Amino acid sequence: MPVTGRAFVLQVLNGISFGALLFLLSSGFQLIFGLMRIVNLAHGSFYLVGGYIGLSVLRAGGNFWLAVGAAALSVAAIGLVVELGLLRRLRGQAMPEVLLTVGLSLIFADLSLARWGGDPQILPSPPGLQGSIHLGSLTYPTFRLFVLALGALVAAGLWLLLSRTRIGAIVRAGADDQEMVMALGVNIRAVFAGAFTIGALLAGIAGIVGGVFLGLYPGADGEILLFALVVVILGGLGSLQGAMVGSLLVGLIDAFGRELVPSLSYFLLFAPMALVLIFRPRGLFGKATT
Amino acid sequence: MTAGGRLPGPRWRLTGALKLGGLALVLALLVSLPFLTGSFYVSLATQGLYLGLFALSINLLAGYGGMITLGQAGVSGIAGYGLAIFLTRFNWPLGVAIVAALALTVAAAFLGALAMRTSGVYFLMVTLAEGMVIWGIAQRWNTVTGGDNGIRGVTRPGFASVYWKYYYFTLAVVALCVALIALVVRSPFGLTLRGIRESEGRMGPLGYNVALHKLVAFVVAGVFAGVSGLLLAMDNNFFSPSSVHLKASADGLLMSILGGMGTLTGAFVGSGVFVFITNYVSGYLTRWPTLLGLIFVLVILFARDGIVGAWNRWVWAPLLRRAGQAEEAELAKEAAREVASGLLSGPPAGVGTKGGPQ
Repeated sequence: MPVTGRAFVLQVLNGISFGALLFLLSSGFQLIFGLMRIVNLAHGSFYLVGGYIGLSVLRAGGNFWLAVGAAALSVAAIGLVVELGLLRRLRGQAMPEVLLTVGLSLIFADLSLARWGGDPQILPSPPGLQGSIHLGSLTYPTFRLFVLALGALVAAGLWLLLSRTRIGAIVRAGADDQEMVMALGVNIRAVFAGAFTIGALLAGIAGIVGGVFLGLYPGADGEILLFALVVVILGGLGSLQGAMVGSLLVGLIDAFGRELVPSLSYFLLFAPMALVLIFRPRGLFGKATT
Repeated sequence: MTAGGRLPGPRWRLTGALKLGGLALVLALLVSLPFLTGSFYVSLATQGLYLGLFALSINLLAGYGGMITLGQAGVSGIAGYGLAIFLTRFNWPLGVAIVAALALTVAAAFLGALAMRTSGVYFLMVTLAEGMVIWGIAQRWNTVTGGDNGIRGVTRPGFASVYWKYYYFTLAVVALCVALIALVVRSPFGLTLRGIRESEGRMGPLGYNVALHKLVAFVVAGVFAGVSGLLLAMDNNFFSPSSVHLKASADGLLMSILGGMGTLTGAFVGSGVFVFITNYVSGYLTRWPTLLGLIFVLVILFARDGIVGAWNRWVWAPLLRRAGQAEEAELAKEAAREVASGLLSGPPAGVGTKGGPQ
């Protein structure tokens, strides 16, 4: 299939906006790992549950922004409970923590199936962001452009939070040397709980965006988790810049892959991952272990 | 598991004899099963056997090699899809198709070589991604894999078409595989592997080729996972993406942890419980997958040495102590502890893990 100039620009936009969605997801994942060393494999479940909660709010007659708020806050609350109730008991034990989140993802998947059924559901675009915008000779869905802006906004917000605020300084210090931060009198447990909650919150918002983009269905949790993991492997575990660059790369690869070789687009996802693992196993922006 | 390298004395003989007796009893029970019950339970047992082999392949990698994988269903799926494709698209004879499908699992060496560039939780992440990529290809590549509908028409061997004959076929194949794995685990190779699990950093300077050992373990485990995939495909006459999905890998990991990592029997105890829940409990409890997830969480929180570990700790060790074998009893408890502590709280992620968000 030949890619004409216009189709090319279209795919680039598709790739970047999907990348923005992936960034919402993977930035939370990175925040959690960077600080707490927890690989949260329930992140896909947070995403799916967030989308479904938004669906329920919309069905009950709520408007889109209410749905976003409800999804973000409920998933943040779920994250807080998981962190305080379960993960805290395993602090510092990397493998049990990951495996616990695997168990949780099985539970979330089944309970979502029970509550929201097995049929695929698509969330409607919010009023005001429906339809398309004309960009020169190109028409493009408004919502996708909005997501693009949202991704950029979250990236800027996280960057400001981490590099310009006291909380950010604590988070960065905690990632480097937990004991020292605790010795300085910082309540690191509260910071941990906060980071995990914010990560979950971002996943909940991503779930709504994904619900409009890709639809919600049983199994969407595992699929989006795969994309988030590839982003993280490419970008480097725990790095926010890595999440940004990785998200864009994966978004673009996926957009062009779907267009050019739809049946093997997953293989295109695998190839860059393999290259990174061969030549730079810690990822493009990952720090080396010392 | 008794400790290796100790001189066989009278005490060893007693526990050894007890274990041999237990093994003989279990084997006798398995062989006579089709005479004791009907097709439903025999089919369940068939399923338990090849799922146990699948869990054991994960156990070989994780419990002995310290490499916890969440992509093993992808590897077993390569064999399952290989068989289905060779049989239905190429019309190859079953024997040829089986050999070719197993040869395909050696391709897992490539996946292993990539994943091995990392370790710990990072290894888990990479294998998960690899497994899901295989799932994605299986699900999208309609013309070859049949997409979501999977591939029908996988045949069983002519001599094992009836359910009870297929059960005996599965039993024979799985028993052979377990015997081979037992040999591997007790071989110098297996001991080196355990050494790597305990302390990867020290095995290198001692002159062991750590990377090669891990790679071989990955391939060997992959071939056994492949055998279980073949048995699954022939049992169902069918292979589909759901057998390759992350969920299938997580189920296998659950079975091996629930049964007891680093033990040969654990995998089958775990698969037994799993098959019981998915086929029997599911008749009474709609939310049985939630139950499985809960079991996963509870095992991780409270019982990391699994059922076999609990048995060693609470039943076997006290029995030995009562028989006046305090030393053996301590060993049994230690074995249980080793599984829980050595493996699951293992080293932190290997590569690219220092430093947080910047």
